[in-house]
Amino acid sequence: MPKGYLAIVLHAHLPYVRHPEHDDFLEEDWLFEAITETYIPLIKVLDGFVRDGVDYRLTISLSPTLMSMLMDGHLQSKYLKHLDKLIELSEKEIERTKWDERFNKLAEMYHSNFIEARHIFKDVYHSNLVNAFKHFQDAGGLEVITCCATHGFLPLMEVERRIAVRAQVKVAADMYEKIFGRRPLGIWLPECGYNPGDDEILKKEGIKYFFVDTHGVLFGTPRPRFGVFSPYLTKHGVAVFGRDTESSKAVWSAVEGYPGDYNYREFYRDIGFDLDHDYIRPYINADGTRVMTGIKYHRITGITNHKEPYVPEYARDTAANQAGNFMFNRERQIEHLAGQMGDRKPIIVAPYDAELFGHWWYEGPQWIDFLVRKIRYDQDTIALTTPGEYLKKYKKYQVLTPSFSSWGWKGYCEVWLEGSNDWLYRHLHKMTERMVELASTRKHAKGIVQRALNQMARELLLAQSSDWAFIMKTGSHVTYAVERMRAHTENFNELYEDVKNNNLEEDYVKGLEEKNNIFPDIDYSIYSS
Amino acid sequence: MAVEKPGLRDRKTFRFPSGYGDNKIVLLVRDPWWIFAYWEIRKEKTDEITRKISDSGDECEKSILRVYDVTGVNFNGHNANSYFDIELKGLASTWYINVSSPDRSWVVDIGVLTKKGNFYLLARSNAVHTPRFGMSDQLDAEWMIPEDEYWKMFGLSGGFGVGKGSLEVREMIKKRFEEQITSGAISSSASFYRKPAARKFWLVVNTELIVYGATEPDAKVTVQGKEITLRPDGTFSLRFALPDGKQVIPVEAASNDGIDHLKITPIVTRKTE
Repeated sequence: MPKGYLAIVLHAHLPYVRHPEHDDFLEEDWLFEAITETYIPLIKVLDGFVRDGVDYRLTISLSPTLMSMLMDGHLQSKYLKHLDKLIELSEKEIERTKWDERFNKLAEMYHSNFIEARHIFKDVYHSNLVNAFKHFQDAGGLEVITCCATHGFLPLMEVERRIAVRAQVKVAADMYEKIFGRRPLGIWLPECGYNPGDDEILKKEGIKYFFVDTHGVLFGTPRPRFGVFSPYLTKHGVAVFGRDTESSKAVWSAVEGYPGDYNYREFYRDIGFDLDHDYIRPYINADGTRVMTGIKYHRITGITNHKEPYVPEYARDTAANQAGNFMFNRERQIEHLAGQMGDRKPIIVAPYDAELFGHWWYEGPQWIDFLVRKIRYDQDTIALTTPGEYLKKYKKYQVLTPSFSSWGWKGYCEVWLEGSNDWLYRHLHKMTERMVELASTRKHAKGIVQRALNQMARELLLAQSSDWAFIMKTGSHVTYAVERMRAHTENFNELYEDVKNNNLEEDYVKGLEEKNNIFPDIDYSIYSS
Repeated sequence: MAVEKPGLRDRKTFRFPSGYGDNKIVLLVRDPWWIFAYWEIRKEKTDEITRKISDSGDECEKSILRVYDVTGVNFNGHNANSYFDIELKGLASTWYINVSSPDRSWVVDIGVLTKKGNFYLLARSNAVHTPRFGMSDQLDAEWMIPEDEYWKMFGLSGGFGVGKGSLEVREMIKKRFEEQITSGAISSSASFYRKPAARKFWLVVNTELIVYGATEPDAKVTVQGKEITLRPDGTFSLRFALPDGKQVIPVEAASNDGIDHLKITPIVTRKTE
């Protein structure tokens, strides 16, 4: 019997970016890169566990915006086109690098990865990767949970809070139920943003657990008996898990974190930037702006601009060693804890952004692969679990009100509420207020009015994505984020005026329904008070 | 964004309005020490207040935010625990307010302070509560452990290991969250995980070699023994990354009928100094 448990939680999310009006749209690459570099490599790792009969437990949250994009036919066919170009480029690269074996082997590696990705995407999962995650959940091992509808940051939904939060949660849980056939057990609150009281809404939507950052539990009320090593129940009976600091630091820390190892692939040296413009031109942005292609030939090497060629074998050894190190440290942690917890077994909750694995940290999926297998076969102190599984172990948990918190920089709201983005909330709050107003005064609307109100709900939700504020803060793609916020605010307010003035135009509504087509089943009555 | 279709009504290009014709002030919690306020005041409201002030024989002194500590109080405008004023300058419509104290409730009034020291209200905010920064003193009888044991759990939770005294852990946790190293900076693919080495000045030089030529369109051509595809006009062009060393590049062409054979062998040496 293990002395304690480890729950690895991956949070997969991208904002809803879909532009059928353009053949080639820069920000759509976020999805395409994540599919090739993160989701498919993770699927390969999970598939390996199933093939080899490895008893594993992992948890993944799939945000509703990400799932909507993965299920969207237009984006699916665009992804295949994108992948075909990568396959073509990697073929050219095999020829071009013929005289230099160090790079030639890498070109071959990329080429076979892309071909395999195509097979997995198209042939195995029929272009819909949500099927893959459903498959692994149904087979046991993977616990798929939800996130808020559009990754809205809940602590800043101050106006009509209860209704605004409920809409973000309910739309997500309903979508999850439609796809996976039952209510989600857990939810990843966007950016771990928690505001006391929101747990009541989670409870009403049938959600059993959520996560907060370390201080969300440590600063909770009353004083938590088990630190972050046990879930607690909120007043409304939803379980809350706190993030473990040590295991987070091992991966996240820019200084001492695993992804910075010198043997690992260098993210910033991409042939999209490195190669002659004439040659690479067909594979970068349509306007000739250099972008990353995903083909990268160098390793981090050191704190130097000089980069050595990437050697997959070195990187693999490093990933294996680091997985061993991570496991060893968790064993020690559990041993320390075992004596402190009475008759309870501790749980270490280690959440990470899924896109870190593979996209930023190329070897991340390999690291997970090694880690899971090592934990299963090389020791008996810890076992993997999921939050859902752990909660069945004990009947009673201490009741705790977690503290208002997030896992963002400085632990609260500063990332999403500062000079670059604080102007958003005035408009977001007004939209929420107007949505509630119309939903409450026009119950049971039919026909075009109903469609307009549903579309308003979509536009509002899309505007609420925390990604826009985040992008404004970090400074890249700001123009796009501002334009998205502007467009959704415009669409929403035009519809608002048209509904109020009985002046709806069907073609206008239809145009918006086609353009911002997320949540086809949405029902605006979620906003009625 | 409107879909451009004939028959659709012209819509004005949308710009974010500076206001919505409301008279209100809204508070948001940023962290345990700071709250954020945005507001919008109707002109009629300002005019009305200005009139009232002058009717009472008083004069406007300044616009202020009056920040009330309403912790534990059902606030009615007169029963706050304490308050402080912030003078508004220029055309501000937002303010970050340093309330300094975690775990307190706040309401903010925006209004006018007169020369005689009277306060006239323009709008009153919602109430917010700043989170406590630190461990709760409230103990749960059912889940009680000795004081030392709590600190051990906190130390382990904070990643500081065991064997640290409670004071030490208390300080470390404070420091940890004040400096914060959590992952917010990497929570979307639009961000960068690790900054590249400082590129003060740098130079990268690589070489490529283009091997190109032409023959009869129906000829069979090999380069370094590998058959290549000709363009419809019989030309070809190949591109290779050229590392240091010597490359022998035999190009052989055979006519379609197999009778004629031609061979040209460029030899290229690259040496980097």
